[in-house]
Amino acid sequence: MNLGTVRLPEMPSLSMLRDRSTAKLLMAIGLGWLTIFFIVPVVVLLFESLNFGEGSLLENYSTALSGTYLRTLGRTMAYAFITTIVCLVLAYWIAYYIAFKAKRQMLMLGFVLLPLWVAIIIRYFGVSLFFLPTGPVQQTFGTDFGVLFSTTGVIVGLTSALLPFAILPIYNSLQSIDEELINASQVLGARPMSTLRTVIFPLSLSGVIASALFVYILAAGSFLAPAILGGPGDFMMANVIEQSFSYSIPLAAALSVVFTVALLILIGIFNHYANISEVLGDL
Amino acid sequence: MTELRTRLAFYPAIVLVYAILLVPLVIVIATSLTVQSAPTIPTDGLTLDWYVSLFQNQRLIDAMIVSTIVASATAVVAGIVGTITAFGFVRAEVRMKETFATLMLLPLMISPVITGVAFLRFGGLLAIPRGYPQIILAHSILALPFVFLIVRSRLLTFDERLEDASMIMGANRLETTFNVTIPVIAPAMIAGMLIAFVISFGEFTATQFLVTPSTTTVPIIIFNQIQTGLSPEISALATTLVAIMIIVSVLGDRISS
Repeated sequence: MNLGTVRLPEMPSLSMLRDRSTAKLLMAIGLGWLTIFFIVPVVVLLFESLNFGEGSLLENYSTALSGTYLRTLGRTMAYAFITTIVCLVLAYWIAYYIAFKAKRQMLMLGFVLLPLWVAIIIRYFGVSLFFLPTGPVQQTFGTDFGVLFSTTGVIVGLTSALLPFAILPIYNSLQSIDEELINASQVLGARPMSTLRTVIFPLSLSGVIASALFVYILAAGSFLAPAILGGPGDFMMANVIEQSFSYSIPLAAALSVVFTVALLILIGIFNHYANISEVLGDL
Repeated sequence: MTELRTRLAFYPAIVLVYAILLVPLVIVIATSLTVQSAPTIPTDGLTLDWYVSLFQNQRLIDAMIVSTIVASATAVVAGIVGTITAFGFVRAEVRMKETFATLMLLPLMISPVITGVAFLRFGGLLAIPRGYPQIILAHSILALPFVFLIVRSRLLTFDERLEDASMIMGANRLETTFNVTIPVIAPAMIAGMLIAFVISFGEFTATQFLVTPSTTTVPIIIFNQIQTGLSPEISALATTLVAIMIIVSVLGDRISS
């Protein structure tokens, strides 16, 4: 029996807030705010890095791209890279467990989220207390295994601080995999490892990319990890910028520009392979 | 048998990950209760003396008040701006919306050191007063991407037909906004404000450039004390900060759900 369909009269959209111009206005307010209080200050900094006095216009840049500063830039990128790899390995391992094997998923996720409510400086302080002469490691073993005030210390600190940002996107992507696909792969005779390699991992790649991006950016910009846990040779760009600010603002400005451009180029290359705002929108 | 293999394969990860995440917090809290004069894990008794001396130190109390004022103001500013922006982004139909959304995330991508330096110079240029105004504005910029992301993801589930229903029932636009739209958005906005409060309360890197002697925040004091010498008092101060953040987050969670 066909009851037919009831046709509602075409109604104009009523909501004022769906009204395109209002929404656009709200969007413009946000972008305007960002421009005035963030983009303009950064552009002003760009101007301050130029040398309008004696000598070449780009004099500060020749300093910023020389010897120790260039090495610091390389070190920053290298430390961020190592931290990203360590975080990804640990994050995938634990996220896989939480998503597919764990019985108390919510509890385990809760403890991943908990550190995010604690100021990052306090977490670095906790890591340093752990390895200090008064801390449990040295009290037990008589040595800190060379962790404190070293490259290892910086990496351990960054990993501790940024691990939640790595776990969440990977967990989300694993969680949203259709279990039927995994079952199908197993029914068709794939061993667990080959299911992981050919089905699960490719489907979770968006989460892995989001994690990598997030951890890399936050690690590269870190000031506190080298300041609290690193030695004098472990300074990263943020520390060098802060240091140079006290004696030469134009140099600090030039270093900021060099660092930001280097990071943006990396992000740009990355964006070529994966859309960032889509990736971060999943968070 | 497979149960055992699962255990062997994953228990190292569980132990390692949760140790890395939680041991630093546990140590900070534990060392604040030590009876020694160095921040050790207490094995020979517990004491609250460090909290007592903390609350007798006028400088620290002042810093806590400053931090609370800054974080509350940041929550309001970033909460309002972030919610407005997220609402606009969810509803507007413009070309290159995703590119603009990426722009909103810029303060997250650029190191807070640069934000701090840039803001100090810019603040001087525009004669934005040093102290509270500069710190609060800088914090609201740093918190903005987080508020934006959280509010936007919550608003995506907002059923716009609720507004239509209200108007069909005879409410005018103003009534619809106040009786339907705002109550629906409010929990998302509170969640965003909460994040902003927590970010502001713990921010150090950009803040170090902007503080003045009368507007020193708690993270600045913690950092200076770490540099100059360790006393369990820092652990007590850090634990107090953790407690305030967790209380705020629990309260906010209650209100928004």
